[in-house]
Order: sequence, then structure tokens, then C-alpha cells
Amino acid sequence: MEFVPHFKRKRSNSKDKIKIAPFPLCAEGQRGYQGVFTGLCVEVVDTEQARIRTLHDNGCYGKGSCSRGGPVSGEADETLLLGLEEACLLTFFLEVLEIRDVLGNVMDWNSYMQAALEYDKDFPYKLAAYLYLKSKNWIIKSGIKFGGDFLIYKHGPREFHASFLVLVQTPAENIHSHYAAKNLKGVQRVAETSDKDVLVLSVNQFPDFEPKLATPTTLQSLTIQETVIRRFNYSAFVQTKQTK
Amino acid sequence: MDGANLIGITSKRQFLSATDLIVERHAEVETPAIGLKRTSIEGTPAEEEELKNAYANLRRQLSARRIERQAGRAVAHWHEDQQAAEVLRKDGKFESFGYSKQGKLYLEYYEALFLLELNRLQLEYCEMIVSVEQAYVLLLGEAASEKFNNYLVYSTLSRAGYIVVKHQANTTTSTSTAAVVTSEHCIWALLDEALGHKPVPAHIKASSLYKATKERWSEVKQQIMSHQTTTLEDDNSLDFKFETRKRKAQSQPQEQSKRICRDKPTKSLVNHLKAEPSFKKFQEIFEKLDIIQLQLTDDDSEMNKELRHFKISFDLHLHNEGFRRSAPKSPTFSVVILPTDEPFPTHDELLQCWRQQLSHAVPLLVISVSESKQIQAFLYYIS
Repeated sequence: MEFVPHFKRKRSNSKDKIKIAPFPLCAEGQRGYQGVFTGLCVEVVDTEQARIRTLHDNGCYGKGSCSRGGPVSGEADETLLLGLEEACLLTFFLEVLEIRDVLGNVMDWNSYMQAALEYDKDFPYKLAAYLYLKSKNWIIKSGIKFGGDFLIYKHGPREFHASFLVLVQTPAENIHSHYAAKNLKGVQRVAETSDKDVLVLSVNQFPDFEPKLATPTTLQSLTIQETVIRRFNYSAFVQTKQTK
Repeated sequence: MDGANLIGITSKRQFLSATDLIVERHAEVETPAIGLKRTSIEGTPAEEEELKNAYANLRRQLSARRIERQAGRAVAHWHEDQQAAEVLRKDGKFESFGYSKQGKLYLEYYEALFLLELNRLQLEYCEMIVSVEQAYVLLLGEAASEKFNNYLVYSTLSRAGYIVVKHQANTTTSTSTAAVVTSEHCIWALLDEALGHKPVPAHIKASSLYKATKERWSEVKQQIMSHQTTTLEDDNSLDFKFETRKRKAQSQPQEQSKRICRDKPTKSLVNHLKAEPSFKKFQEIFEKLDIIQLQLTDDDSEMNKELRHFKISFDLHLHNEGFRRSAPKSPTFSVVILPTDEPFPTHDELLQCWRQQLSHAVPLLVISVSESKQIQAFLYYIS
């Protein structure tokens, strides 16, 4: 059976449809945005030169600190909260953001990696999965509200429902945690309520890969396997086949 | 004549009137379900009382006389040593049941039990007619085993409308073809893999010809690609529609050389958005981010990991596709039964299971049996 993902369009007003680009781009060699790593996320302040609204609208990065989605509340002191993977992409791959720690020191790859690992020990694997999906033109948001790692959208949450709820299976010791029947059935039921598929991305590594010392180069040695598990209504299937 | 000579005749049997028959035949046997579903035992006296009543109620319902038609039953004899029921008298259509051995028709334990439950079979054992209750113990055994789940899945799927047969893995015809794998088989398997997104079956992979064929295959592929550099993208993708659209705009030679050295099959399930105009527009950035690759399914190093083995139990056929027991066609699904506490198969485990099939075109249906004996089916799509 051929696999076709769900793309379910949202009912939305035509006026708030904005032509969005997948990446916020700055002038050559300029890191327009300034962020502070708070230990949970990277907080970006709004400035005249670099509007956080633009950062959000071009690729749906982050969440407004006073809003449900993008920074639209209009509050003067609203900031944009970026997830760790998003901030990493914007800083070290797209080079539009500069991250400082709470003391004001600029964070390079190593210090950012150390800090991120303290928050999430699987960060390098999640980053790998994030980059994997990003390179395929998906808009990626946190999957925490559906009990997964990421939610991935066509064009972004404004226009479409998420097509997949992504679970990242790291090569850690407990290989079956996502595959335990009750966990998998649980997320599946939640995801199904809005026509999503559960996509398990298993990240595989070579024995010499050391997550603590991961660099953009060593990340390239990781590979990914995709598994989509769908519930299948066997009685409906047989009935539609019989009436034909 | 006086009264002393009168003989009273009382019938040993009781005969029911027609109305009673109808009423008793369609007796409702449902346990009353009130309130929320509870999942753990609390141990309170009220709960114990409730459980006692529930069991008594269940017993009452199960021990009530049931009335079934006696005509229209086939007769079979259970052979304990063969674990099969030999059909002595057929009644009705037996097209999708049983197997023939030395001119005799035998039923598997789950088939016999299923027919018995439907009152289409009279099972005999040691010259006695087996009751439904006895049949459960006799056919499924007293100890817990996979037979319970097999029967549960068999009967549920049969009732749902499938023809359920034992998985045909080691039939004589298929093993003979497996023994001689020609290079033609290898080529078809490779084609299937490249175009149809189906893994190469294990028996073809094991063949000595496979490696040589595969080398030639990639040589030829390389040749074709280097001749027609403009159609290069087509080799890398399954999605023709989007590629043809994209090809027109694509004419930078620099880009193409990059593709050649990578030369990876893109069988990803999440590639669809590469057809979007935004992808074309920002292609350079997307390619810069494209540093983590899909793992090739051909890579055998992955097989060194400790994988659980999943057995394919049944094949499912549809009724309107002309199923014949003597010459079964390729089934619609193959069924893997997942016991209650077993985690779902992972990517590699499913792939391994898929590869053990000879006809690898058949999708696998993973059927999970829950604690409450509910069954649920799952379909896998893997990269």
C-alpha cells in the first residue's frame, strides 16, 4: 500500500495569509538577532533593526512570550522564545542569530552544546532529526502538546494542520520506549484526533560517535530511519472491498 | 379395569414449544456494563460483592441452555497426536477451511474451534461429542500459549469478513523456487526495491548471484546517468510528477555533480514538500542543511543488532477475489500477532520480518492483542 501523508488545510481568513519564506535571512555576514540562553530556551528581544515578528513569520521559529503562537500580542516587552534546536539552526547554520549566556558572553558551538546537553541529554540526536526534517522543507514546532518531540507542518501552523507527530528514537539503552504498546497506542490516539501520523525517526550512530562532543561534522555520521505506524481499520477495509 | 393396571408414562425429555424455542435461541448474553471502566483492584468489600455478583451472573448466562439447530453440521474427529481434526463428513462449503493430506481433509485447531462455535461442526474425540467448553481445553490446551491469541485473531478476522489461512511460507512450490535464484530474480528484486520501495527478500540476498547482479545494476545505472545528465534527478526519486516539473528549471551543472557523488536512493516518507516552490527558491540553504542522511535499508551492519524475531501467523484473503485453497493467490495482508506486553516491532525488526516472506509484495498487518482481548491492527510504512 502506497503511503500518502495527510495534508489537512485549516479554515483560515484569507487576510492573515502571509507569503512566508522558510528562512529569515539577514544581510551577508550580519547576525541581526540577539538571543539570550536562559537554560530552557533562547529568548530573543525585539529591536527596530531586527523584528522578532519577521523572525517568526519566516519559518515560524519560536513562540511569543505573551501569545499563543507568534508574537502578536502587541505588548511592548514581548520576546520570542526559541527552542534549543531552532536556536541552534538559526545561529550555527543560518547565521542570523547570536546567542549569549545570562552573563552576556557570546556562546560558541561548544558552549552552546554543553548548555543544551544539560537541559536535554538527547539534544544532538534531536538536533539531527530536526535538521533532517528541516532540509526537507518542513516547518517544525515543538510536539510537547501532543506528547511527542516535534510537530511538522506543510507551510506552517497557520495554514495546515500538522501532518506528523514526530518521535525521536535515540540509540540509547532503552530502545523500545517508543514502541511499548501503551505508549505508541497512546500517542497514536492523540495524533489521530487531528489527522496526524506518528512518525518515529530512529537515529543510528557509529560506535565512535560521542554525543557530548558532537560538531556539525560529526553529526553527518548519524543516519535516520523512518517508521510510520498507522492504525488500520480492518473491518471497514474489508467492507469497502466487498461492495466494489 | 381398575386403576391398579394403569401405567403412567412420563417422558424423560422435555419438549419445548415453538415459542419457547424461538425465545431461548435468541437469548441475550451480555453482561451489564454500568459506570466507568476500572483498571485496578481496590479490594474493598463492596467491590468483592460486586465481583461475586458479576461472576455469578456470568456463570448463569453461560450455563443456560442454548438451542441450536442440529442439522447442517459437519463431522470431524480430533487427532491429538496430529493436533488436527479430520473431517469425516462435510456439510456446506469448505473452500476456505482446512488442508488436505493424503486425500483427507484436516482442520487446524483454530478452524475446528471456530466452526464449532458457529455450530457448523460436530467434533468427536474418543467416540464422544465434544462440547464447546471441552473443545476450548482440548484444542487450545490448558496451559497459556500463543494458541489463544491465534484463535482470537483468527475468529475476529474471519467474522470481520476475511478468509484467514495459515501463512504460506514453506509450501513446496515456493521452496523450490527459493532454491534456484537466477539472476533474473535478483534483477526483479532490485527493480522492486528501487521503484516499488520493497525490501529485497532474504533468500535472494543470500544468493551468490545477488552481489554480482547488484554491481552490474549500479554500473548500468551509472552509465545511464552519465549519458543523460539532465534526467539525473529521476533516478533518485520515486515522485515523478514533481521531478518533471522541477527539471525544467534545473540546469546548473555544479548542482548535478554534487548529486552524482551522493547518489543515494531517496525513499523517504517525508519528501513531499520538496515539490514546493519555496524549496526551489531556497534550494541552496536546504542542501546546506541536508547533512543527515536516510539510512540505506541495504546496509547489513544494522542486522548485527539484537533483533526480536516476529513470526508471520496468517495470510488474509478477500472473499470476492476468487480464493482457492488449492492455488492461493498472493494474499492481501500477512498477519503478525503481537502479544499483550510485547513492544511493537522496530524499523529493523519489521524489515527483517518482511524479508522472510518470499512474496514480499504483501503488506504486513501487525495485530496487537490487548489485555482485555481486544484486537487492533496496525500498518507500517518504513523508509
